[in-house]
Amino acid sequence: MTARATAIPAAFDPGRAEGRGSADTARGFVTAALLGWRMEANWTDPLLFFIYSVAKPVASALILVFMLEVIAGPGARDLRSFVIVGSALWAFVMSGMAGLAWSVLDDRERYRMLKYVYVSPSDFLVLLVGRGVARIAIGAMGALIVLAVGVVFLGLRFDPGAVDWAMLGLVLLVGLAAIVALGVILAAVCMQTRQESWSYPEAVAGALFLLVGAVFPLAVLPLPAQAAGLALPLTWWLEGVRMALFPGGRSAIGGEGSLWTAWTGSAAPDGGAIVGTLLATSLMITLVAAAAFRVSERRAKDRGLIDRTTGS
Amino acid sequence: MSALARPAAGTPQADAAWDRRRVFLANLRSVGGRAYPRVHGLFREPSWVLFEILLPFLTTSAFVFVYRALQAPPEYVGFVVLGGAMTAFWLNVIWMMAAQLYWEKDQGNLELYFASPVDMMSVLFGMAVGGLIMSSTRAAVVLAVGAVVYGVTFTVDQWGLLLLVFFLTLAALYGLGMMLSSLFVLWGREAWHLTQLLQEPVYFVSGLNFPVGRLGFLGALAVALIPLAVGLDAMRQLAFAGALGPTGTPPPEIEALILVGMAVTFTWMARVMLRILERLAREKGRLSARWR
Amino acid sequence: MSEPHLAPAIDVRGVQRVYQAKPKDVVALAGVDLRVEPGELFGLLGPNGAGKTTLIKILTTLLLPTAGTASVFGFDVAADAKRIRRIMNMVAGGEQSGYGILTVREQLWMFSQFYGLGRREGWRRVDELIEAVGLAEQRVQRVSELSTGQRQKMNLARGLLNDPWILFLDEPTLGLDVSAARTVRELVVEWRAAVPGRTVLLTTHYMAEADELCDRLAIVDRGRILAEGTPVELKRRVQRESVFRLELDRLAGGAAALAALPGVVRAATMSDGAGEVGRERQSVVVNLVLDDDAALGGVVGALGGLGARIVALQKSEPSLEDVFVELVGRGFDDEAVHHGERPGPPPATLAEMTHDTEEAEPLGSEVTR
Repeated sequence: MTARATAIPAAFDPGRAEGRGSADTARGFVTAALLGWRMEANWTDPLLFFIYSVAKPVASALILVFMLEVIAGPGARDLRSFVIVGSALWAFVMSGMAGLAWSVLDDRERYRMLKYVYVSPSDFLVLLVGRGVARIAIGAMGALIVLAVGVVFLGLRFDPGAVDWAMLGLVLLVGLAAIVALGVILAAVCMQTRQESWSYPEAVAGALFLLVGAVFPLAVLPLPAQAAGLALPLTWWLEGVRMALFPGGRSAIGGEGSLWTAWTGSAAPDGGAIVGTLLATSLMITLVAAAAFRVSERRAKDRGLIDRTTGS
Repeated sequence: MSALARPAAGTPQADAAWDRRRVFLANLRSVGGRAYPRVHGLFREPSWVLFEILLPFLTTSAFVFVYRALQAPPEYVGFVVLGGAMTAFWLNVIWMMAAQLYWEKDQGNLELYFASPVDMMSVLFGMAVGGLIMSSTRAAVVLAVGAVVYGVTFTVDQWGLLLLVFFLTLAALYGLGMMLSSLFVLWGREAWHLTQLLQEPVYFVSGLNFPVGRLGFLGALAVALIPLAVGLDAMRQLAFAGALGPTGTPPPEIEALILVGMAVTFTWMARVMLRILERLAREKGRLSARWR
Repeated sequence: MSEPHLAPAIDVRGVQRVYQAKPKDVVALAGVDLRVEPGELFGLLGPNGAGKTTLIKILTTLLLPTAGTASVFGFDVAADAKRIRRIMNMVAGGEQSGYGILTVREQLWMFSQFYGLGRREGWRRVDELIEAVGLAEQRVQRVSELSTGQRQKMNLARGLLNDPWILFLDEPTLGLDVSAARTVRELVVEWRAAVPGRTVLLTTHYMAEADELCDRLAIVDRGRILAEGTPVELKRRVQRESVFRLELDRLAGGAAALAALPGVVRAATMSDGAGEVGRERQSVVVNLVLDDDAALGGVVGALGGLGARIVALQKSEPSLEDVFVELVGRGFDDEAVHHGERPGPPPATLAEMTHDTEEAEPLGSEVTR
């Protein structure tokens, strides 16, 4: 058989095996993010936009608004603002967390591409996080739409002049890291489980929903559940965003009967406490996520789960 | 090799002529066959207990605490627990019924099902039975633990009707799932997104945690079209007899009739859709991507 | 429906299949006629995209022909699909069907239920087939953990669950290693031979496989059957001359002496025994092209006069690759070249890896009459 002319270089360049460190990482991340964007966030498709950024988050908020209406009637404006904001932010949390886990399942079970992603020279975790960026963007869009619906149709009072923009920016940034870390933990879990684990991210998000004071103050929870909630970065993130966007609103953490008030004697945490605790808890969860992902990756490699497809 | 050298039963023509009993038995067995991986797969992933039972229970609990924060009457907590239990079936219907044939097509199973001598409806029934068993576990845990932990008191006057409504709700739900499964195959990749559309928006219009009658026209529409909405409303009326006052929705007897109508219509539509799917598949080659 | 007891296993008449596509429709089958008798192992040989799988899909009732009729054991694929499904099964290469979470045994049992086998009968049949295909050790292994070869053996077992009268095999050895492919082929041959009337329709683009397995085969390209017959018949179609490989202890006068004999078209020395310095003299190998086989008698009779004694005599056969190239004007892998997309020399063909290539590339001088 005659060899064909190809572009193979005359000699192997050993430097190629070394890679170029952060430049390769950045390129891998951007490529994965663009890929995720094309796959998930096709804004030219009105149906997708409607489903993910309008229907799902707005319906979630409306469920809570109607629960409130049924019991407290239209007078409970303070509570209504509380649940609308919490619900809007939760849409962002859900998308961020689920995005990464679904990337694992999508690439392994549907596109059968996970093994190729895994063997590429870029860091697997970086590529996965990149793939999840699109869903985070979808979640952010959903949160904004719910807030807009709240302001326009549901009586949510919003004064841009009163917003603490510096705190909002800081809290959003740190909170984003925490949400991605939680997503990484879920991706690590989904690497070990089977095709039907599509619902797992939502199950985890639903369970966290109970603990973080998204739509009701922590004070109504039993004390151990309150303690668990205070250890989660999402609780502090929600509190921080609420405080920055709607200063003077109801606190989810403090108040009568709350563990926070019992411990500190203060009615609600101030900005410094919120940012400080958010930073500390986010750092913790990020470390846990990194460790969990590496353990899962090793186990997946050990058991040949990277290219396994399941189903029942 | 004895397995390869089995004596032929007769002629190809004789073997192709099944009597009605054989057709019935084959279809019955295929129901069990298709349910098998779902039921047995359930126990092979221990994480299922955490993700399919414990965490969903916590999600339901979040809504219980919303009502507690609002100091709502205790039966509202019961609504949430009942809604949480029925959510298990709804999720199963949309994820593991409606979207399932689409997955089967991806895996190459769909053409094997179509090429087998049994009716695809039997395969769908098998999926439904397996799914029912899977989600019943979750529903039962949410209902039992929720009732105990949150002190829900059920006031049932008509146990027979309650049970009937429950089973009719399941029949209507899985009938809808069977119907959607064919539609989702035809819609292709959009199926995944449509499944998403069937979650929160349907929870809202079905009045998952509050009386659906409060939604006015939208609630009435949901009661007329969505088995989750009408089934939940009927079960609430029956499980918390007298506690609700006027609900703005039909009495449970009428809702039971609506469920009968839905179960029959959806199952019939599922059959029609399957025929359309098979016809389109055979005419246009849509059963697999690997045609040539 | 034709008379069942006289019905061929497969009867395809004027079948066309067009897929609607953009920018223009794709013609997968452009009018196919085919008849396969009960008990035959019939092959469809052709490159990717030839229409082989489309024809199998039509015969397995998964696809309707756009025009024409097709029947299996007398049952029309459009009108009698249910009956056909009761007596046939199909296995495709690279098939990933089933559920990874089940064990091999469970997976097969599940499929047995779709063919109406009783619960216990199903388990018994599954166990027999697992033994027969050599998967006893993997019996309780999860399907997701099987190797490609093991998976294909399991797929073959699935295809035999209902003891079909006709088995459709769509490139069943695709991607398998030599050993696994051989096992699959042996199982198919053994299964078919066990009961008279069992029929196999095999598609493949491995020519050696078609040559080894098939009683008859059709060469398909671009939706048309180009030729049909036994492998020997097909090869004979391209062999207008008789080619022999003649090994002699010596040959006075060389190939030219043979070329001068009546009925000899060409004679070429493949090896003249020279150049073996310090070693015993070797035999002479001559590639002999005759007008027809009858001329061989004259050549053999004349050898004594040339002082030569026959050590070995072998008739050289053309390969199916040669048949294909003759019919289509290109090799299996040459599609891109055909469309002018890939410059450069043609790739190696499968024939180069088979034993049918001895007559090619004479080493020595060639004398033509």
